[in-house]
Amino acid sequence: MRALFVMASLLVATVAHAQEADTTIVEDFSQYAEAELAGGTKRYATSKVLDQSPNKLISLGYDVQGAYDMEFASIDGAPAQTIRNNNNQGLRLAANVPVVSTTKVLINLAAIYWEHRYSFDKSQPIQNPLAQSLDSYGLRTMGINFTLFKPLNEKQFFLIQGQTDLNGNYSLANIQSLEYTRLSVFGIYGWKKHDRLMYGFGAARTFRVGELNYIPLIYYYYTAPSRKWGVESVFPARLNVRRNFNPRTLAFFGYELEGNTYRINNRGNEFAAGRNDLELRRSELRIRLTFERSIKDFLWFSVQAGLRYNWRFNLDQGNFFRGFGGDQPYLMENTIGNPLYINFSINLVSP
Amino acid sequence: MKSAVLFIATMVLAGSLAHAQTPTAADAIVGIWETGSGKARVKIDKVADKYFGRIVWLREPNNEEGKPKVDKNNPDEKLRTMPLLGYRMLKDFVYTEEKTWENGTIYDPENGSTYSCEIKMTDENTLDVRGFIGVSLFGRTDVWKRIQLKKKA
Repeated sequence: MRALFVMASLLVATVAHAQEADTTIVEDFSQYAEAELAGGTKRYATSKVLDQSPNKLISLGYDVQGAYDMEFASIDGAPAQTIRNNNNQGLRLAANVPVVSTTKVLINLAAIYWEHRYSFDKSQPIQNPLAQSLDSYGLRTMGINFTLFKPLNEKQFFLIQGQTDLNGNYSLANIQSLEYTRLSVFGIYGWKKHDRLMYGFGAARTFRVGELNYIPLIYYYYTAPSRKWGVESVFPARLNVRRNFNPRTLAFFGYELEGNTYRINNRGNEFAAGRNDLELRRSELRIRLTFERSIKDFLWFSVQAGLRYNWRFNLDQGNFFRGFGGDQPYLMENTIGNPLYINFSINLVSP
Repeated sequence: MKSAVLFIATMVLAGSLAHAQTPTAADAIVGIWETGSGKARVKIDKVADKYFGRIVWLREPNNEEGKPKVDKNNPDEKLRTMPLLGYRMLKDFVYTEEKTWENGTIYDPENGSTYSCEIKMTDENTLDVRGFIGVSLFGRTDVWKRIQLKKKA
């Protein structure tokens, strides 16, 4: 009988042991404060500040600009012409995959596809060759980019991003030669002062002003102690003041400079014979308000609205380096209006 | 009869002790780990045949009002007053293959999201903790380091 009691007690004890961790555990947590990393390993800076907007793994977006006038300069005997563009529309798709993710290095690969369609008022004949080309084919960008974040220790880091873009009036059925791929790069050396502040300095080889240029950069990501406000900026390319309503609802106010150089192929002989080496230098400043919210778990929607301010919309013969202050004349210097725009996107965000 | 009962009892006791004293390869994950950001330490324990992890230390344990942080971002409103210290953020991990624990979930108190998760031990003091959405490709790996408690003098 005593033996039976012993066996029953042992069984109860075994079961109780298995279930113990499922109950509320009263524990002295202070014992975990005094500790060190095993094996003498180092700590490294992470790539984000607290409450930073989430990375978008997949983004399906649509961009619409309102009506505005476009004043095209004369070219090859075609007169200057002002044309009403009723709107611009186009898909903006992006996929971003973290391929290496360790404490010592992060590498992301991304791909984008943007289109930019024009819808000109046809009440008068479109005579300008550039306008004819834009109306018929629009503009496309396909790009691949990689981002490398390399912390040196808990405080210092490198950030390098490279992007190759194929921009032009090509069709998806007949993509232009990879010979016209444009390479943008930037590098930042920075410091992570604490969980809410990262900053750094660097330089960029960029086409954001519509043509190749080299500019200095200031990297600044900050979250206020209240954790309700922050700044996300790679100045002068973009700057956003962030408002964190909660971890699933964010708003931003700021700007981004968008631009590139686009290969304009003489697809339908809109231009005179021999015009086979044209580059549209397009750049615009987008001053905008953005609202982002989680719809369900990792699915977020984003709506962005603001002013699309034209910076440059000129045509060059050939792709060459002009730089700030360069005095080489443009083949066409066009002036275009500054409409309001709106952009919607559905995004799958990263953990 | 008595001897048979005693024999069974002895076997149960021996089995229980052997179970407690012989760590398996699966138990290599048991211990205290610091997250990649260094903001939290997580104690991983074995419960039955699965592995769970609780937050046992926070670099900033108090909120802006000086009170212990609670799980204020939890999508379940009833759980928003639960203290973060002691919160079980890793759940239901099963040892599936060499140095790999899968089929679990990880909870991120920063945004109240729960992700599918798999853990790989790259060396005895390092875990690759990958949270992902649906498929592992769409995820992020956080590298956790094993912590040794300093002995109190």
